[in-house]
Amino acid sequence: MECPHIPEITKGRFLERIRDKIGAERIPASGTIEPTLRCNLRCIHCYIPNDYRNRKELTYKQICRILDEIAAEGCLWLLFTGGEPFVRDDFPDIYTYAKEKGMIITIFTNGTLITPEIADYLAEWPPFIVKITLYGMTQETYERITGVRGSYRRCLQGIEMLMARKIPLELRTVVMTKNFHEFEAMKGYAKELGVHFAFDTNIKPRLDGSVEPCKLRIPPKKVIALDLADEWRSEKWRGECRDFLRAPNSNRLYLCSAGATSFHIDPSGRLNLCVLSRIPGYDLTQGSFREGWRDALLQARAVEARSDDYRCGHCNKVILCGRCPAWSELENGNPEIPVDYICQIAHLRAKTFGQGAQSI
Amino acid sequence: MDYLERCYEKDPSIVHRNIAGEAILVPIRQNVADLESIYTLDEVAARIWELIDGQRRVEEIRDAIVEEYEVSPDVAEADLVEFIQQLEAIGGVRRV
Repeated sequence: MECPHIPEITKGRFLERIRDKIGAERIPASGTIEPTLRCNLRCIHCYIPNDYRNRKELTYKQICRILDEIAAEGCLWLLFTGGEPFVRDDFPDIYTYAKEKGMIITIFTNGTLITPEIADYLAEWPPFIVKITLYGMTQETYERITGVRGSYRRCLQGIEMLMARKIPLELRTVVMTKNFHEFEAMKGYAKELGVHFAFDTNIKPRLDGSVEPCKLRIPPKKVIALDLADEWRSEKWRGECRDFLRAPNSNRLYLCSAGATSFHIDPSGRLNLCVLSRIPGYDLTQGSFREGWRDALLQARAVEARSDDYRCGHCNKVILCGRCPAWSELENGNPEIPVDYICQIAHLRAKTFGQGAQSI
Repeated sequence: MDYLERCYEKDPSIVHRNIAGEAILVPIRQNVADLESIYTLDEVAARIWELIDGQRRVEEIRDAIVEEYEVSPDVAEADLVEFIQQLEAIGGVRRV
């Protein structure tokens, strides 16, 4: 008989341990749920069109049923995003229900709706991590992006409330032309607080195909400058260039975790491959998660390129770009056409971090 | 009172999951265990966890383990007592 004991393991190391198995058995271990697309801010770069925000939302009971089903299928890591999750008055109840199912939960929020009561609640029922997006380090810049007066102050107050209660926190930003000049200040603020700082330069088109937000992208050369100034990112790209510069040599469009070990559920209960891929979607109000995962998402994931010269399928730099067919679909109306912006960045990364790298 | 006469129930602050064939305990509430971590259970531990129901006495759990696994009552008892103490320490069970 084995000796019964309880080895302790960090959540990250547990993921490493079961990664191969969840891939081989196609277990939906990781999911994203948008309880709402409503938001109290009006960010200029947001990929959610305004007219999507008032679409019908699942009720608390419907969400609980879905949480039961995803837990039964093996979902362990769950991300709540939006919209702004805290816009929903019943979000704490939804969150608690997911906690009670044993999910390891991350919350994406703008932080502006956090009250002492919500912070106390999160201290009592701690998430794996709360990730707050910061849009600038001055009121002027922050509110020029969010469009809401007073939101900068409320965001900082939200951060302070979580910090005071030692709730695991990460600050992140979307770097764009309107806040690039405050990037270092945001990074410095996170360092001062002693929390991890992450950034994203990939501004996406809106879900209705509008490319208006893309005008806010910083030039590819500036993206590389940010990579170079960040030790972790530099090391990551050097490693990718050294070990993984090879073409997938596959015509399959989805080579990421979407539909393999991860899924996305929108506020109306449509199950999709990921946050950007909303077509065709499986309606969870009409069927079970199990059915949607095993049938609709499996088919969506298996889609292959139709063109004979699918460029991404034969590009050895795909590891450097964050290529995504759903993003191509939004930006180019075709999942097979590369997004030129990230294509340029990938080539610059190869030049900068690859063997025989030269400065740009 | 003899340890074998005691009865334990699961604490709702820790949730049991089976993920990819691994039995784990996930702490979900403040003041229990280390929230940064989860706990893995081997086969026997998972079976004991299943048997803890707020009604069975430790002695009954021991007897069930002796019947199901190749182990002597003495060894099973010693391991079981140690395991329940560990569970108590991480807030996984409480005495009824």
